[in-house]
Amino acid sequence: MNRIRLPLRCLPLLAVTTAWAADPAGIAFFEQKIRPVLAEQCYECHSASAKKLKANLLLDSKAGWEKGGDSGEPALVPGKPDLSLLIRSIQHLDDDLLMPPKKPKLPDAVIADFVTWVKMGAPDPRETGVVVATRGDKTWWSLQPLAAGGIERTVDEFIVEKLVEKGLTLSPPADPRTLIRRMTYDVIGLPPSPEEVAAFTAAYSRDADAATRDLADRLLASPHYGERWGRHWLDVTRFGESVGFERNVIIDDLWPFRDYVIKSINDEKPFDQFIAEHLAGDVIGPGNPAVEVASAFLVAGPYDDVKNQDVAAGAAIRAATLDDMITATGGAFLGLTFNCARCHHHKFDPIPTEDYYRLRAAFEGVTHGRRVIASQEERAAFKTATEAPNRERTRLVAEIDALNRDISLRAKTELAKRPPQRPKIDPQATEERFAPVAARFVKFVVHKHTGNPRAQRPGGGRLVEFEVWTAGEKSRNVALSRNGGRAEGARSAVADDFLEAYGPQFTIDGKFGEQWFIGSPAELTITLAQTETIDRITFSNAKGRDIEEGTARGETPCDYEVRVSADGAAWHTVATSADREPWTPAHGIERLRAEIITPEEAARLAALERELAQVQRTLNAIPKLRQVWAGIYTPAPEPTFVHQGGDPMKPTNPVVPASLNVLDRVTAPYALSADATDGERRLALARWITAAANPLTPRVLANRVWQYHFGTGIVDTPSDFGFLGGRPTHPELLDHLAARLVRHGWRLKPLHREILLSRTYRQGTALRADAALVDRDARLLWRFPPRRLGAEELRDTMLEVAGKLDRRMGGPGFRLYKFTQNNVSTYFPLDRHGPETYRRAIYHQNARASIVDVLTDFDLPDIAFAAPRRANTTTPLQALTLLNHSFTLDLAEALAARLDGDVNRQIARAYALAFQREPSAAEQAAAAALIASHGVKAFCRALLNANELIYLE
Amino acid sequence: MTSAAGLISGSRPGLLGDVRNNPLALSLTRRGFLGQMTSGLTGVALSRLLVRELTAATARPPHFAPKAKQVLQIFCPGAASHLDLWDHKPMLEKFDGTPLPGAEAEVTFQGKNGNLMKSPWPFAPAGRSGKMISTLLPHIAGHVDDMAFIHSMTSRTNTHGPGCIAMNTCFPREGFPSAGAWLSYALGSQNENLPTYIAIQDLRGEPPNGKANWANGFLPAQHQGVSLAAQQPLRNLARPASIGAEEDRATRDYLERLNAEHAAAHPGSDELRARMASYELAARMQLAAPEVCDLGREPAHVHALYGTGDRNGLKAAYARNCLLARRLLEKGVRYVSLYCASRASSVDGLLNWDAHKTLKADYERHAPIFDQPTAALLADLKQRGLLQDTLVLWCTEFGRMPTHQDGTAGRDHNPDAFTTWMMGAGVRGGVSHGATDDFGRRSVQDVTTVYDFYATVLHLLGLDHEKLTYYHNGADRRLTDVHGHVLRSILT
Repeated sequence: MNRIRLPLRCLPLLAVTTAWAADPAGIAFFEQKIRPVLAEQCYECHSASAKKLKANLLLDSKAGWEKGGDSGEPALVPGKPDLSLLIRSIQHLDDDLLMPPKKPKLPDAVIADFVTWVKMGAPDPRETGVVVATRGDKTWWSLQPLAAGGIERTVDEFIVEKLVEKGLTLSPPADPRTLIRRMTYDVIGLPPSPEEVAAFTAAYSRDADAATRDLADRLLASPHYGERWGRHWLDVTRFGESVGFERNVIIDDLWPFRDYVIKSINDEKPFDQFIAEHLAGDVIGPGNPAVEVASAFLVAGPYDDVKNQDVAAGAAIRAATLDDMITATGGAFLGLTFNCARCHHHKFDPIPTEDYYRLRAAFEGVTHGRRVIASQEERAAFKTATEAPNRERTRLVAEIDALNRDISLRAKTELAKRPPQRPKIDPQATEERFAPVAARFVKFVVHKHTGNPRAQRPGGGRLVEFEVWTAGEKSRNVALSRNGGRAEGARSAVADDFLEAYGPQFTIDGKFGEQWFIGSPAELTITLAQTETIDRITFSNAKGRDIEEGTARGETPCDYEVRVSADGAAWHTVATSADREPWTPAHGIERLRAEIITPEEAARLAALERELAQVQRTLNAIPKLRQVWAGIYTPAPEPTFVHQGGDPMKPTNPVVPASLNVLDRVTAPYALSADATDGERRLALARWITAAANPLTPRVLANRVWQYHFGTGIVDTPSDFGFLGGRPTHPELLDHLAARLVRHGWRLKPLHREILLSRTYRQGTALRADAALVDRDARLLWRFPPRRLGAEELRDTMLEVAGKLDRRMGGPGFRLYKFTQNNVSTYFPLDRHGPETYRRAIYHQNARASIVDVLTDFDLPDIAFAAPRRANTTTPLQALTLLNHSFTLDLAEALAARLDGDVNRQIARAYALAFQREPSAAEQAAAAALIASHGVKAFCRALLNANELIYLE
Repeated sequence: MTSAAGLISGSRPGLLGDVRNNPLALSLTRRGFLGQMTSGLTGVALSRLLVRELTAATARPPHFAPKAKQVLQIFCPGAASHLDLWDHKPMLEKFDGTPLPGAEAEVTFQGKNGNLMKSPWPFAPAGRSGKMISTLLPHIAGHVDDMAFIHSMTSRTNTHGPGCIAMNTCFPREGFPSAGAWLSYALGSQNENLPTYIAIQDLRGEPPNGKANWANGFLPAQHQGVSLAAQQPLRNLARPASIGAEEDRATRDYLERLNAEHAAAHPGSDELRARMASYELAARMQLAAPEVCDLGREPAHVHALYGTGDRNGLKAAYARNCLLARRLLEKGVRYVSLYCASRASSVDGLLNWDAHKTLKADYERHAPIFDQPTAALLADLKQRGLLQDTLVLWCTEFGRMPTHQDGTAGRDHNPDAFTTWMMGAGVRGGVSHGATDDFGRRSVQDVTTVYDFYATVLHLLGLDHEKLTYYHNGADRRLTDVHGHVLRSILT
C-alpha cells in the first residue's frame, strides 16, 4: 500500500562488515553448543523473525548482540562473562532480568557453555546478518550531548556547506521592500507601514547591512514582538481558555498566563527560568504573582469535569487529566512523546513505561482550578481594607439573626395553636377546589417552594403540569394547549439554541415530561380559549401517575394563590395554600411571620438590613484579590504506580518522582522519596529539564526558533525528536544554535538577531528550476521559503490596513462567539465583529471546540493538543468567509474611508497600505475602472481578498 | 504514487504543510515542476486541475474494491437505550422488580442502582426475519430485514461527551479526526461543488461535546465536517445583502485579475493558483448549495412521507433534516452525519436520549421524533437505489442499565453494552451480531468495540483500517488506533 504512506520508516540497512579472524574451533563450539540454544530459547523474542521484538535486542546476528538492546550496551562483552548482560540474565543474577522469561532456568551445563563461549571471545560466524533499526535507542541522535565544535561558526557557513554539497547556492538577496515585509511579519506579526518601507528602502540603498541591522533591532525592541512570539509559545503549550470535554465551560481568568508569556518574551526572560516557572512557578516565586502565574501551564489543557460516581471511570478521568500534563510537558520542553509510553515501553524510543509514571509522580498533586494569586502586600492591603467592614457585617448579621430567632420562636408557638385544615401539598398532584366561577384567565401566584423558605428569592421551583377543570358533568381540562389554552410566565433558565426549553408551555402540554422552570415574577398566567365556568385546578411537579417511583425533580410550589379573572384586568383570589399544613415547620413559621412581627421589630429589622446593605456595598467596592486559573496544589494523594496496560485499576510496580531513564546517560539523575512534597516534585523536574547537561531542551527550543523564522524547522517535527520524528537537515547547525542559545543565557533575541542578519534569511524567494529539482521544498534553503499568513496575522493585517487595529496590550480577551451555558456550553460564532474585537488576535479568548470566522478558517488550531506546527490549508470556505463575512465588509468600508484625494491617490494609498508598493499603470487603470462602476468600497473588498495581501515572500 | 514517494524522501513539509501527509501538496508541488519545466499548462487549464485537487478528488485508489461510496450516519446522542429500542430481553421482563443477580446496588455514573426494570414498551417481531424490536418504533420496524444489528457494542467511557467523540473518532477525548474526516482525507469528494463532509445538527442544538464530533482533529482543515441543516444554512455562503449581484461579480472579476497578475509574476507557485481556484469553487458552491438545500423542490407526497409538516415542531424539524440528508447523498456528499437530539441540558433526558429519571416520558417524547422521519429516509434511499452505494450507520455513545436508577424511573449509563446497526451497501440485512447477557447488562458474545465498527466501515469503503494512517506528534495515527477487526458476519 503506497497510497498514503509507509507506516514505519526504516533506517538504511546497516550491513555488518566486521570480519573476525577465522577460528575454526571457536566456530565449531558456537555451532554445536550455542546456536541451537539461541535458536530454541531466544529467537522467539530476539530475532528479525520475532513476531514481537522484545527490548529491541537481536540475538540472531553478531551485530545484534554487539549493538545490544534498550539498555544501550552490548549484550555480550567478549572475554568477560561477568560483564555480559546476556550471561547475567541466564544466570539469574539480577532479579529484574531473568532469561528466558517465564521458563525454568537453563540447565547449568548450558549456562557453563555460554560462559566458556564468551571467555573464548564469543566467536560468532553470523556475519552476514543485517540489523534493521526499527526504533531508536539511547544512541539516538537527539539524546547525545550537544556537539562541542562549531559554536563560533556562522549560520551561513552551515547552510552554504550543505548547499555546496548538492551543487546549490544561496539565492540573491531579496529587495528591501520584500525584506522589510518579511521581517516585520516574522518578528512582530504585522505589516510595515508605507512610511517604514520608504525609510528602510532609502537606508538600505545607503548601507544594506546597517539598515538591516537597525531594522532587526527596532523590531526586536517592539512590544509587539512578545505578542507574535508569545502566540507561537501558546501553540506549543496547548493554551486554551475553556475546559473542553462535554461541559467545555469557558475560563475567564487564564489570560494572566497569556500576558505572562508575552511579557516574559518581551523582557527576554532566560528560557531555562521561563520553563522552570511553567512547571513550578508557585514554588519558585511564592507571593510573586508575576512568577506564580506561570504554572498555569499545567492546567491550561483540556480536562473532564463531569462528575462520575463510577470508581473505575473516575480513576480513568484522573489518569487522562494527568496524561495531558505529561504529554504537554514532554512535547513542549523535551520534544519527546512520553504519552506513547503510558501502556507499554515506547515502541520507537528508549522510553520505558516507568518514565511515563515518573512524570506522573511529579504532577500527582496538581488539580485544575483557580486560586488567589497576589503579593504579600496586596494580601495585607486587602486584609486591612476589609477588616473593619467585615467586623461590622458580622455584628449586624448577628443582631439580625437574634431578632429573627425571637420572631420565629413566637411564630412557632403560634403555629402550634393553629392545626392545619388541609394536608400539605403533594408534588405528584395537588388539587384546589373552589366555587364555580366564570373565568377567561387563571393566575397561579407562587410565594414559596419546597426549598429552604428563608433562603428563597422570588422565583425558583418547577412545574410539570397545571390543569384547569370546568365545573359540572364531563369536566374538561381547558388549560390544555390542544383545547386552546395559552400559558405565560417567566423562566429561570434558557437555552439559546432551543428556545422552547424550560418554558411555561410545558405546563399545559398534557405530558408529564418537561418542566417549566419558574422565573421571577413567579406567576403562571393561563388564558383560556373562551370564558368557562371552572371549579378546580391541579398542579404537579412529577410524573406520578404511571410509574410508582416517579419523584419530583427540583422544588415544587407549596405556598401560593389561585386567582381568576374574566377580563384580565380585575382579579380575585379563589384559593390559597394558607390553611394547608406547611411543607415544613420552617415554611409554617415563614407564613406566620408577617402576622407576628411587631411594628418596632419590623422597623428595627429594616434599619439593620439597610445598614448591612451599606456595609456590603463598601465591601464590594474593595477590589477582590485576583483569582487565576493557575491550578490547585496539594500533597500528592497517594503513591504512584505503573499501570499495567495503562489501566489505572491495575497498579503494578511503584515509582518515585525521579529523573527520566531516557536521558540517564547525559544528565545527572535524581530520585525523591515517595513522600516528597508536591512542590519538591515539580521543582526537581524543572531543574532537571533545564539542567545544563540536558541536550534536548535547548535543541528543541532552538529548532522552534528556526522553524518560526523559516517555516520549517531543522527538524520538521518540532515536538518529536524521537525515532518517528524527522531527522535534522543540518545537525551541526542545530547544535550550534542550541549551544549559542545556552551561551546567550537562554535568551532568544541574540539568536533571532543572528538569524535575521544572515544571508540565508535575507535571500530572495524566486523559484529556481535547477535548485527545485534537487531540493524541491528548499529544506536546504537555496531560497527563502514563501508562506501564507497565519490566522492571526491575516486578521491583524486586515485591521491594520483598514486603520482599525486597536493595539492595546493585555488584559481579559475578546470573543468572536456568543458563549452560552445550559449545563454544557455552546459557542455560537458572531455574525458581526464589533470594534471591541478589533484588538490583535492573540487577545481572542480561544475556547476549545469553538468555531469562529476567519481565525478557524485559516487554521487556528483547536487546542485539544499542542500545535507545534500549524496546518496550512486552502479551502473554498476561506474564500466564502473573506468575501462575505461582515468583518470584511466593515473593514473594506473603513479602508475606503481612510483613502483621501482623487481616485489615483486613493488607489496608490490603498496599494501602499495593503501591499507596501505602488500600483503599475495597468493596475491603476483596472482599479479605477472598478471604482468608477462600483465605488471604492468594492475595490477595498477585493484588496482584502488578494493573494498579494495574504502571501509573504 | 510510488514514483512520488521518491520525491518525498528526506523532506516533508512544503509550502502547503506536511507533504508526507498531504497528497494535494504532493501533487501540486510535483506538477509545479512539470508545469515549470514543460510549461504545457495554461493558467486556466491548470486552475481547473487545481479545483479538482482542492476538493480532494485526488484520485486516490482505495485499497480494494469498495462496496460503498458514501456514508449516512444517524446519531441519537444521550445514550439511546438498547433495552428499550433494539435489544429484546425476555428475562428482564420476567425478573422485573428483582435485584440484578450479583450486582445489587451497583454504583455507576450517577450513583446507586435499584432493581431490574423492564422496558415500558413491549417488543414485537418484525419483518420476514421476525426480529424483535420495540413497539416504540413502529415505522423503523419495517426496515429490520435490511439492517444488521450489532448488539454487543462496548465503550471505554461512561460519559456522554467523551462517549460521543469516541463513537465518531474512536478516542474518548478531543483532538482526533472523526470518521467522516478520515474518509474525506482518504477518498476525497464526489462533488466538488459541495462540502465533502456535512454534519446536520438537530434543532435542539449540538450533541455532547459539540463540534468536536465532526472535527478534522489533526487532519488538514478541509476535512472537517461542515455544519449545515434545514434550519441553518452554510455559513457565509450567501452574498451579503448590502452588495448587489453586479457589484459582486465586478469585484470578483477584478480580484481574479489582481491574483492572475500576481501569480504571473511568481512563476511556479501553485499555491497562488490553488487559492484562485478556491474562489472559483466558492462561487460554484454558492450556486449548488442553495439548490440542494431547497426542500421546496420536493413533491408533497415526499414531504408527507417524512412528516415535515407534523404539528410536533421538533419532529417536523428532524424530518426536514432527513430530507436534506437524502438530497445531499443524492448529490454525492461523501459523509453525512445526521443528529436526532442534542446535548445534556439542565434536565436529564430533556434534549436528548439521556433518560436518567423518567424513561417513559422521555422516550415517548424522543421516539416519535425519530421514528417516522428516519423510516421515511431509509425507505426513500432504498426506493431511489441509493442504498446500492450508501452505507447507513445508526450510532449512539453507549447503552443504559437494565436496572432503574435508585429512587427514579430511569436508567443510568452503561458503557458495557449497547446496540448499533448498519444497513445498505455491502451489509447483510436481517442479521444480528453479538449479544448481551440475559438482562442486557454486559456484552458477552462476540464483544464488539468502536474500533471493530469502524474497521468494518472502512472495509466497506474499500479501505484497510490498518493502512489508512497519518503522522501526528510522534505516531502514525489510525482511525482505529491500534485495534479493530472487520465484522465479517454482517457483510454480504
